[in-house]
Amino acid sequence: MKKLIALALVASALVATALTVGTTRGQSAVRAGNGSATTLISCGKTRTIGLLAPITGPAASIGILQVKWADFYVRTYNASHKKTKFKLMKADTQLGGANGNAEALKSAQAISGSSKVLGVVGPAGSNEVKGTTAVLKGGGLAWVSGSATNTTLTTDGTRTGYFFRTVPPDSAQSKNVSHYIISTLKLKRVYIIDDQEAYSTGLADEVEQQLKAAGVTTTRDGVSQQQSDFSSLIAKIPRDTQLVYLPWQLPPKGQAFGQQMKTAGRASIKLMGSDGLFDPAFASVGSNVYDSFFPVQPADSAIKAYKKTHGGQGDYFGAPSYVAAQVVGGAIDRSCKNGKATRAEVRGQIRKTNLKKTLLGLPVRFTAGGDLRSGSFGIYQSKNGDFARVG
Amino acid sequence: MNWSLFFDLTVSGLTLGSVYALIALGYSMVYGILKLLNFAHGDVYMIGAFIGWYALHALGGPVSPSVSAWIAVAAMFVAALIGCGLLGVVIERFAYRPLRNAPRIAPLISALGVSFFLQNSALLLFGAAFRNYQSYDLIGSRTFSFGNLYFGTPQILTVSGALVLMVVLTVIVARTTVGKAMRATSYDREAAAMMGIDVDRVISVTFFLGSALAGAAGVMFGLVFGQVYHYMGFIAGLKGFTAAVIGGIGSIPGAMLGGLIVGLGESYSTGYLPQGSTFQNLYVFALLIAVILVRPSGLLGKAAIKKV
Amino acid sequence: MTLGGSDLPSPADRPDEPRVGVDDWVASHESREERKRGLVGVAARMWALLPPVGRLGVFVIPAGFLPLVMSQSNLARYAIYTLVFALMGLGLNVVVGYAGLLDLGYIAFVGFGAYGYGILASSQFGRHWQAELAIPVVALFTAFIGLLVGLPSRRLVGDYLAIVTLFFGQAFVLFVNNANRISFPHFGHVDLTGGSNGLANIDPLNFFGYKVHTTTQYFYVLLAAFALVAAALYFANESRTGRAWRALREDPLAAEVMTVPVNRLKLLAFAFGAGIAGFTGAIYGSVQTGAFPGDYDIGLLITIYAVVILGGTGSIAGVALGAIVINCVPELLRSQQNASWLFYGLILIVILMRVRPWHRCLAFLAGLLAFGFAVHALAAASWPRLTAAHPRGGGSLKGPLEHWVLLPSHPVKIADFAYVVLIAAILLVTRLDGWRRLLALVPTLYLAAMVWENLLIQQTAGATRLILLGALLVGLMNARPQGLLGTPRVEIV
Repeated sequence: MKKLIALALVASALVATALTVGTTRGQSAVRAGNGSATTLISCGKTRTIGLLAPITGPAASIGILQVKWADFYVRTYNASHKKTKFKLMKADTQLGGANGNAEALKSAQAISGSSKVLGVVGPAGSNEVKGTTAVLKGGGLAWVSGSATNTTLTTDGTRTGYFFRTVPPDSAQSKNVSHYIISTLKLKRVYIIDDQEAYSTGLADEVEQQLKAAGVTTTRDGVSQQQSDFSSLIAKIPRDTQLVYLPWQLPPKGQAFGQQMKTAGRASIKLMGSDGLFDPAFASVGSNVYDSFFPVQPADSAIKAYKKTHGGQGDYFGAPSYVAAQVVGGAIDRSCKNGKATRAEVRGQIRKTNLKKTLLGLPVRFTAGGDLRSGSFGIYQSKNGDFARVG
Repeated sequence: MNWSLFFDLTVSGLTLGSVYALIALGYSMVYGILKLLNFAHGDVYMIGAFIGWYALHALGGPVSPSVSAWIAVAAMFVAALIGCGLLGVVIERFAYRPLRNAPRIAPLISALGVSFFLQNSALLLFGAAFRNYQSYDLIGSRTFSFGNLYFGTPQILTVSGALVLMVVLTVIVARTTVGKAMRATSYDREAAAMMGIDVDRVISVTFFLGSALAGAAGVMFGLVFGQVYHYMGFIAGLKGFTAAVIGGIGSIPGAMLGGLIVGLGESYSTGYLPQGSTFQNLYVFALLIAVILVRPSGLLGKAAIKKV
Repeated sequence: MTLGGSDLPSPADRPDEPRVGVDDWVASHESREERKRGLVGVAARMWALLPPVGRLGVFVIPAGFLPLVMSQSNLARYAIYTLVFALMGLGLNVVVGYAGLLDLGYIAFVGFGAYGYGILASSQFGRHWQAELAIPVVALFTAFIGLLVGLPSRRLVGDYLAIVTLFFGQAFVLFVNNANRISFPHFGHVDLTGGSNGLANIDPLNFFGYKVHTTTQYFYVLLAAFALVAAALYFANESRTGRAWRALREDPLAAEVMTVPVNRLKLLAFAFGAGIAGFTGAIYGSVQTGAFPGDYDIGLLITIYAVVILGGTGSIAGVALGAIVINCVPELLRSQQNASWLFYGLILIVILMRVRPWHRCLAFLAGLLAFGFAVHALAAASWPRLTAAHPRGGGSLKGPLEHWVLLPSHPVKIADFAYVVLIAAILLVTRLDGWRRLLALVPTLYLAAMVWENLLIQQTAGATRLILLGALLVGLMNARPQGLLGTPRVEIV
């Protein structure tokens, strides 16, 4: 008993000292990184952009596309600029991986603590953005994501001025999708299946709401991202369903679903995917497959150049990351005009970004919350094994 | 009563159940002899699926194979059977045999380590991208229909293939000398050794058979559902283990029965229960709990009498 | 040098005959401990001489100085997560190490703690309870849940318990992922956990009005928590309950026959472990500023199991050591340079330690280098494409490596093939002995270097780390099943 009291006293003494020591050292804010917003960094010839992406882990197949596009930006920039160069500091977030958000947090710490990083591209997942907000904000960094589409990220006010994204949010995507289903396709019976991830359920919730408001009969169900056997679920889908909406993230799953629909004799039911499924694999299922994606211009010179050096693959999912790198790189350039810059300055410059033409087919200007000012999704239909714009 | 829905669900349940039954057999056989939960079994199944895919592509690929489609399928099966069987033997030899006399938790952790190793080696070697069997290009998506009942060639292949393999296994276990040795070893390892049975060899054979079945299951899964990726073994292994426990672990007919029950249970719960597909894993596990609470040693298992 | 053991009856009349009723192997345990020679023996003896407070101090006091030498971000990445894993490991240690129950749903209790704290102290429901009230409430609630989950454990034996607890863990993740759509009959629609979006904006810890903001403060809070929990566990282990748990772990049937209340002990173990998990979860949720469903799934469970097993089940110091290794090593491996140093360094150290005497060791190393240069020169002469590329990691190792290792210009297929061959070679080496083993080791190590440079080094943050973890677990179980600091057990079947 005495030992217990002694130990308790020691422990509380420790805590007390610690807290006093902690306060007097005047550290930066909560669970925060090291670099401060107002530290003046000398720009030098090579500037560093941080990149947070799922390089390994379950989402590696889409994360690697973002890395490739960001690399492509850096390469093209370095090839066309003599006096200044860019470098990427890549950190892995393992989206959907074993330790949950812990990896994303550690990577954000590493990037925030690096004294050279002036701006960040990424992270990819909406939950990751939420988890790393405190660290990146504490380090004074702005971060631009090429794929985090959850609507609340820019509306809940916790990261205004720090977080930006070069993709339209889920609210825009759901509006375009519902509008197309109701007004153009004029359907009455829709089945919605989500894949239990935050991106998917958010989008499915919004579309369901909008369709219901317009009097469309909707049924809702979900699958797990690890699932490959959809046959029982497909059997449950009534044959008079007109469209199945799949806001999923992995194109091979969409492809498998489509194939299994055909084997089950339901080939006549339309399928609509979301931007995660925008891939020739999904399009190969058949001609009654639709998808929503931001209006990428395949004729854009950047996309053509990318395809040339990447074996003809467009990897469109990573294209917004290219634009994000463009935004961050441009802001760093402008801030570094006098040779020195602070992270706060770069943030301000990102806010002022005004790119009239990008490969997304949209101009890039940000709202106060961090969204694109003009962001709408296009609807595509599968034609000859790839997607062509129809709406 | 919507009969067409019921039949559809039954067909998909039986297909899936056959795959689970094959996996469960491997678990059951190994547990019967070694009292070891082989966590790596699900990953052997995953490797089998990949072996099948590579075999297919070595023969020209699904769209234009260099041999007739059915020979290609047979080749895939043979490659997976042999490849996975050997893999199972190697795993046993290096990860489990040295731990034969160690405390129970040691081979369990070793199995976990092997599972990790296999999963991530597959990730390293094959990449994170999903591979698709494209079986509809290979063997056609001819669907047979009786009225409202649809099933395709891959489903028939899976169910009948699983049946054939199970029959072969039962014959091996019941009629051959090796089978007798396996049964003896599972009753009492020491006594079997004293009766002149080479226990090491018997265990190797058991692992070979169990892993070969898992490999065949992997190829079947790929043919029916199309996709293989490095992580698929985890949940399939869990479900296979659930099936083995439901049927009575250590019992071969129990594993088959358990597999079918799990497959049908998953199918019916997806089809009939609200939000069934989201929670289907949960329903399967709940079924498991229910069975264990009522019959602690599984449906066809023998109640273990512990001798002190 | 007693560690709490009692004296055994000495033989009465016949000193050379085996003693009746005494297991000589168990009885001679202490003398075997004493005979450990060398550095390890000295360390073990000094460790045993320290009083328990001293042993705790050995960890805690140097750790207290870490914020003075580490940068904030390093502190967060290394120190904070190590402490978090150590705390979770301590809780798991109670269930698995002390009581011997295989609990595969443990991580759900941590999740309960995090979500519970989030419900009580975040913007989700507008409640902002202070930590000194919220954390005990959450810990007690989680302990109660642990009790409920432990109820089936009374009827189930080892492996079945594993499956039931696994089910519980999966059920928790599914529930938490979908709990934003629950409609309670009386309260209407309640968004309990934020669903797949997670519970964001969890408050920082608030002790008596004092908010814990900075990384350093969090570090000290966690350190104090670790000290507290470790002390509590030490006392639990030394008490009657601890001895009863040990009896339960070693032989449940014998324990029951000796009137040890087995069922009650199992429930107590579950509850205690769950309570610690809830406590840790609450702090962890605050550190992460949010609770997301994917955080409390199988992956983290495996990590914590690795921590406990590596360190040695049943040993508190082992858990701390395991956490240090499991967290810090992958962090170090993030940079490819560090990874390369670690890889080559480890191989070198193992060679130096295991190949004796020194002249044999030198000859082996010389032979390895010569073999490498020879192969490289041969390859460069006949197939230049095999040596065209440049080493990726390395830093200062880059120069020598370029002339030693084969670096094909299109490494993918060759490296894959080499990987499979390497595994076969390693397995073969374990089966050989003596000089044959050394001979086979030379091409094997060369192959390993080649596979490392061409394949593994690119995935150090992901696949490589887990491959090494898997291989480590298998090797560890083969070589030292009791972990680094555990006590070897003999299972009487």
